[in-house]
Amino acid sequence: MLRETMALTVRELKHWYRVKVQVFMTMIMPLVWLGLFGQAFRLEELAMGPGVPPDMVQNLFAGAPNYFSFMAIGMLCVMVLFTCMFSGMSVVWDRRFGFLTKLQVAPIQRGIIPMSRVLSSVTRALIQSLIIFIIALAFAYIPGLVGLEIGPGFGIVELLLMVVILTLLALGFAAIFTTIALTIENQETLIGVINLLNLPIMFASAALFPTAFMPDWLKSVANLNPITWAADGIRQLVFENPQPIYDLSIDILGLVIFAGSFLLLGWFFARRVLNR
Amino acid sequence: MPPIVQVKNLVKIFNGSVRAVDGVSFDVNEGEIFGFLGPNGAGKTTTISMLTTLIKPTSGNATVAGHDIVKEANEVRNVIGLVPQDLTVDDDLTGRENMILQGDLYRVPKEELFNRVDGLLDLVGLTDAEDRMVKTYSGGMRKRLELAEGLVHHPKVLFLDEPTLGLDVQTRAVMWEHILDLKKKHNTTIFLTTHYLEEADSLCDRIAIIDHGKIVALDSPRQLKASLGGDVIEVSVESEVDSPDSITGIPGVIEVQFSEGKYRIKVTRGEEVTPGVLKMLWDQGVVVKSVNISQPNLDQVFMEYTGRSLRDAMQSSVQDRGQRMARAMQARRRR
Repeated sequence: MLRETMALTVRELKHWYRVKVQVFMTMIMPLVWLGLFGQAFRLEELAMGPGVPPDMVQNLFAGAPNYFSFMAIGMLCVMVLFTCMFSGMSVVWDRRFGFLTKLQVAPIQRGIIPMSRVLSSVTRALIQSLIIFIIALAFAYIPGLVGLEIGPGFGIVELLLMVVILTLLALGFAAIFTTIALTIENQETLIGVINLLNLPIMFASAALFPTAFMPDWLKSVANLNPITWAADGIRQLVFENPQPIYDLSIDILGLVIFAGSFLLLGWFFARRVLNR
Repeated sequence: MPPIVQVKNLVKIFNGSVRAVDGVSFDVNEGEIFGFLGPNGAGKTTTISMLTTLIKPTSGNATVAGHDIVKEANEVRNVIGLVPQDLTVDDDLTGRENMILQGDLYRVPKEELFNRVDGLLDLVGLTDAEDRMVKTYSGGMRKRLELAEGLVHHPKVLFLDEPTLGLDVQTRAVMWEHILDLKKKHNTTIFLTTHYLEEADSLCDRIAIIDHGKIVALDSPRQLKASLGGDVIEVSVESEVDSPDSITGIPGVIEVQFSEGKYRIKVTRGEEVTPGVLKMLWDQGVVVKSVNISQPNLDQVFMEYTGRSLRDAMQSSVQDRGQRMARAMQARRRR
């Protein structure tokens, strides 16, 4: 089973890295956010005028020394979301061009068909969000720009935990969107679904704005959003004096349940839909 | 040895009312080339889809290599290869990568896979193009790659759904050379569908003629044609023989008619009976102007069993398919 899964995952990744424009395009969007929005939009000064005391800023932004650091971490999670939303697209293409027939005739577990897309999306999401992380860090060394400022406690263990959190988030979202794609026959419909869901999922979370700024109803939605759990967890790893929403272990547990349940759903759903 | 494919009363009803396959039963013996001949929409592809576990039958059952197509679908998948009507190769991989991927999906032992891929690519004449992206291949090359892919795991039964559809005459001939080669090498049983009469006639050991989801005739091409009552010899002569009975007396002659200076003699085997007929006419001093032997063809067989000509039934739909295929190829390129 491992061999077939790997073979199909590698196929997906080949499709991705061979189209250089595609790699470039997926990087552009978060860079624009970091570079323009993140640099220009100093939320703390907008709210309280210039010269806000540092501890107040930290109170506002979950322990981040400035708004940019806060939203850069959120952007890692948004990057994961945006990459994984498209993980089902290749299923739709394969159905269209007959490759799915070949997979259905092959003696492989049906679940491998969505799982290979999930794994390749997770790989892509991790690569892309780690590049964003590095760029955000590098901004701090460019004069005139605000960068991601991490606490002195951030070491190799914290980095690995961050990767684990991003992986869990990616697994969950990729599983959801691949499962949706299994039932969809044309790419226009799938793009419609993605466009319908991407902004609500992004904004109803603590990725770009602290939940403290939100009305109560939105706050309670955001608190149940896996992106909030991931951003909340990573902020605790990255910043010196984190102000968490949940305990780190709760964040990770939530993400494990999120990823696990949707992976299982995708696996069994594939059995149903791909065996007519 | 039990038949490698056994089909009993297979029925597939789409949308509750369309009886695409309406109770077909047949056996395919190991090592034979078994052909499904019929116009588009006759139920050929639906039957293949059921036998290759792509869709479930509405009722009836079938086994492939002893495995039930519904209950043991995965065992069936292990021993079959399918070359579907529409192309399924991956455009954005090279030919060789497509082959290796296929081998991985069927868990062909790694150490053997590369040798097999080399051999098959050579066999279908794609060695020079193996590292090129499939999107740069011509239609014929894709089809040959598809065929090679269907063989990577040495299937016991190879299902070919219209394997030469949309290919030019030369490529068709080459494809068949490959297929026969493979059959010889691996004793693969081949189940194919086609609407090319000549193809079915010259290649298949046995043919099932299918129309409106039902098998209307099943036998070897020779027997099917013989069932029409044999060949017809037409002999143009300058004068009539005195006693027509002398022709009827020749072994193999079934029926003799004479009109407008021409004998129409119905016989069992034209090429064997003709010399005797000519000798008899010669002995009686009759001058023969011309001779024509016509053998019944499968189109006549088809007409006999369905009341219409397969060629006519196909004419419009072949053009349709050709256009559809061209469009599909364009769409693939655009991607």
